[in-house]
Amino acid sequence: MPSIIEAFQSQVGRKILTGITGFLLVFFIIFHLVGNLAIFGEPDAMNSYSHFLHEFGPILWFARIGLLAVFVIHAWIGISIWLKKRKARPVNYNVYSSKGGPSKQGLSSRSMAFTGVVLLIFVIFHVNTFAFGDMGTAELADGTQVHDIKTLVLDTFQNPLYAFGYTFVMILLGAHLGHGIWSAFTSLTLKSKKASATIYTIGIIAAVILAVGFLFIPLYIYFGGGCEAALIQCN
Amino acid sequence: MSEMTINLKIWRQKNADDPGRFEEYRLPEVNEHMSFLEMLDVLNEKLIKEDKDPVEFDYDCREGICGSCNLVINGRAHGPKHKTAVCQLHMRNYSDGDTIVIEPPRAAAFPVIRDLVVDRTAFDRIIEAGGYISVGTGAAPEANLIPVPRDTSEEAFDYATCIGCGACVAACPNSSAALFTGAKIAHLNLLPQGSPEREKRTIAMVEQMENEGFGDCSNYAECEAVCPVGISISAIAQMRKDYMKAVF
Amino acid sequence: MKLDPKIPSGPLEEKWDRHLKDIKLVSPNNKRKHNIIVVGTGLAGASAAASLAELGYNVQTFSIMDSARRAHSIAAQGGINAAKNYQNDGDSVWRLFYDTIKGGDYRSREANVYRLAQNSNHIIDQAVAQGVPFGREYGGLLDNRSFGGAQVSRTFYSRGQTGQQLLLGAYQAMMKEVYSGKIKDYPRQEMLDLVVVDGVARGIITRNLVTGEIQKWEADAVVLCTGGYGNVFYLSTNAKNSNATAMWRCHKRGAAFANPCFVQIHPTCIPVSGDYQSKLTLMSESLRNDGRVWVPRKKGDKRPPHEIPEDERYYYLEERYPSFGNLVPRDVASRNAKLVTDDGLGVGETGLAVYLDFRDAIKRDGIEVIRAKYGNLFDMYENITDENPYETPMRIFPAVHYTMGGLWVDYDLMSNIPGLFVAGEANFSDHGANRLGASALMQGLSDGYFIIPYTIGDYLAGTELPKVDTDHDAFKEAADSASGLLDKLLAVKGNKTIIEFHRELGKILWDKVGISRSKEGLESAIKEIRELREEFWQNVKVPGEANYFNKYLEYASRLADYFELAELMALDALDRNESCGCHLRDEYQTEDGEAIRDDKDYAFVSAWEFVDVNGELETKLHKEPLEFEFVEMKQRSYK
Repeated sequence: MPSIIEAFQSQVGRKILTGITGFLLVFFIIFHLVGNLAIFGEPDAMNSYSHFLHEFGPILWFARIGLLAVFVIHAWIGISIWLKKRKARPVNYNVYSSKGGPSKQGLSSRSMAFTGVVLLIFVIFHVNTFAFGDMGTAELADGTQVHDIKTLVLDTFQNPLYAFGYTFVMILLGAHLGHGIWSAFTSLTLKSKKASATIYTIGIIAAVILAVGFLFIPLYIYFGGGCEAALIQCN
Repeated sequence: MSEMTINLKIWRQKNADDPGRFEEYRLPEVNEHMSFLEMLDVLNEKLIKEDKDPVEFDYDCREGICGSCNLVINGRAHGPKHKTAVCQLHMRNYSDGDTIVIEPPRAAAFPVIRDLVVDRTAFDRIIEAGGYISVGTGAAPEANLIPVPRDTSEEAFDYATCIGCGACVAACPNSSAALFTGAKIAHLNLLPQGSPEREKRTIAMVEQMENEGFGDCSNYAECEAVCPVGISISAIAQMRKDYMKAVF
Repeated sequence: MKLDPKIPSGPLEEKWDRHLKDIKLVSPNNKRKHNIIVVGTGLAGASAAASLAELGYNVQTFSIMDSARRAHSIAAQGGINAAKNYQNDGDSVWRLFYDTIKGGDYRSREANVYRLAQNSNHIIDQAVAQGVPFGREYGGLLDNRSFGGAQVSRTFYSRGQTGQQLLLGAYQAMMKEVYSGKIKDYPRQEMLDLVVVDGVARGIITRNLVTGEIQKWEADAVVLCTGGYGNVFYLSTNAKNSNATAMWRCHKRGAAFANPCFVQIHPTCIPVSGDYQSKLTLMSESLRNDGRVWVPRKKGDKRPPHEIPEDERYYYLEERYPSFGNLVPRDVASRNAKLVTDDGLGVGETGLAVYLDFRDAIKRDGIEVIRAKYGNLFDMYENITDENPYETPMRIFPAVHYTMGGLWVDYDLMSNIPGLFVAGEANFSDHGANRLGASALMQGLSDGYFIIPYTIGDYLAGTELPKVDTDHDAFKEAADSASGLLDKLLAVKGNKTIIEFHRELGKILWDKVGISRSKEGLESAIKEIRELREEFWQNVKVPGEANYFNKYLEYASRLADYFELAELMALDALDRNESCGCHLRDEYQTEDGEAIRDDKDYAFVSAWEFVDVNGELETKLHKEPLEFEFVEMKQRSYK
């Protein structure tokens, strides 16, 4: 009988772990998107939301480390599957094509490794920009001094490179989730054919909603949204 | 009855150490009612008469049940038709002047023996690891002492129909054997007779699958699309479920 | 040569049990000292190997396929009989025995067939315990269907894949023992000779089909489970690699070949469509439960079937056999198909087909009921012929399917060469002159699971076997002879391909040693076979070399044996001046085409011995009389 650690190193265990971490990441992304929507709220909604999170102190750090671990495991397994696949088929087909039908091969599923790696690089970059970036302070309505994340966000997305770069990456996120959400259910032993078909559709809709939700923000800002209220210079 | 000319591009490889290469052939007078393998028989007759080496490929029953044949045709295991083994594919699915590329199933776990013939004994070793119910000859109780709900029996049967051809591995971008392994695990684990050994079986077969050098499953479901008997990837879900139950 | 069937004495019901009581046992410690070779890993081979290994013997298995799971047993569709009487329709061991011996037209041994019927119930128990998913009722209990003309429902089935499921059960049992180390499995190895030392079978010679290496294997007993020889006809429902080489080489080493002319021609196969055709596909005869067989009454009626009015349709089976109708046994159905096509009433492009029509069944039960019963068979038919059997009747024609003949064995399934056991279709034992539907799986598994494991122990315990190793001269001689034959084939370098020769041989056999035979036809067949064989050895073109994977070389070596076997089949058919079961001699039939059996002169097993006189094939006939103590021999009537 393998130990739990050994079990999670097996092919089946790895896949289940990918599914679990994938789900956690999807939850995080939903949470994150909801947080981001604060940019459309009251002028200091975003900063007070950020402040609210920071109030958690050590718990926040705990969550951050946990999130990082989930992310690393998810990425690590993904990359190792990709590496193993090359070993498992040393000579490639000269002609290869999907048979269609029940096959879930497509742009989304075939590019999981690519979109995953891009997302990995993006996240490092993203955290560097918004978590460790230069932030001024702002004052909330009740006079509390907080990090001015909102201005940083608005400033950052004035840069077309950022705005469109983010948009592009969010499209990739959508692609990743398009296969990923259904795949996570499948990895976590979803068996029923009917439910599987439903979840596949829901997964794609959710992926589109999440991607559009995220990419809407940089584009909105780049094209002038949210600036007046923040009293910064906009495009 | 229409006849056509088919252009063939076939993988030729003398043995596992030979790097292999494609050779091209032009085959006239292909009859639409021929099976794909009969078309290859006709090609071989022509090659033999021209003092060339015939193309080696595996076949036996030619009824789609033995699982011997497994050619990758224009990039698809068993060719273009769903739920059809290549021996049951007919030339009426092609048109005059078509070019058909034929490759062996490609996977590190299936080394090439010659041309399109590969060694699939890795599958046998996965079965050896636990793909059975341990009941010695003579030890069986009266058959109707073990009632099995019809739906359970039918579901187990769906998985038991696997013909072990290896198309799932051939078509999987990762060369995973999850559908093959999952199908046997699901067949036996679902039945009350198979339940005492469920945990041991699942763990051993999963371990052996990995040791044979098959890749991971990434839920592409291409295996289900190429499976000549249409085994569903729900077999893989069953395998995962039982694996987790066994481990925790 | 003395052929002693060694049938135990006593009442029929007690023979096997009494024999088991008398059988000598090998002690557990000694079992592990015995090597047993099993050649062929289909139903009989895999079940025998697994059971022997469970008992503690060292077993080595050899198969020409890349895995035991691919043996041709896998293709059996319909089902397996057992006398469970789950349907409460009056079935019993006795009735299954009686039907089988009657179905075989009284050309098999009572004792063997009775034991088969007894074992049938154990097989079902064993298979269910192994996880074979038989069809079940909603209550969870096993379902049965009536099959192949039986008047009780005793056939257990797994959809249309019963052979597959039973084989996988046996294969898995075998793989379990491979894992435990008691079985060493050698796939892609072809047995090319039997090694006989001092008159006793002591090993085999194989060719490693991947490397071409000729290898020698020593054993205390050899179990041959290599299936039947239907492929001698070129076109048959057998898998392409099924062949007679292992049994033929044993025959040439002295094993008697019994009833070679008993070949079953299955009535419901998809007709031949062209010269390129490589094999024939069987449609399960369960189709005859609902399909009606007919041809147009008018010769050369080329109208499409739906335009032929009811009164111009000749439902010949229903008219000639009112009580059995479309469900007459296989031999009767095949013979009648030939009769009507010989009369020019055949349908389809070639005129070599009859209709199997589901129109009335669909009208009666609805298309969904028919789809549920036969959907996969209808799909298969449509895939092969490109015609939709829901709308237009199927075209079917008989095809070579099963060979009842095989190596002669005694009650213990041992051939006349001590130490050589033969099981499954490779032996002649249980089906007489005609096998009933759903009986082949039963016999293969009865032999493998429940007979060989006991009788081999009896042999080993009662025989002094001196130590022999593969350096012995007999091994060297056999190995040289095996590789010599391959070299000889490669050296011919003629102009005609192997398939061309085989196709010609098949045509001779089909025309003259097929559904019906005549003295004149058989004599000319023997002549033609000899001529063709001579031409083969002068003009065959075998590609490649012997030292690597070379399927055409394997094929050529099998074809060389078919030429000799074909002649023996014709000889046997010529010798048997009667019509019985599948063997119909034109001279011995009533005016309306019913077989005339001759129990006075032909109630025997013909066992042919191969005598090598200066390298020339000479055959000698021995007769094992068949005695019927418990059943009365009756003329079969399905009227």
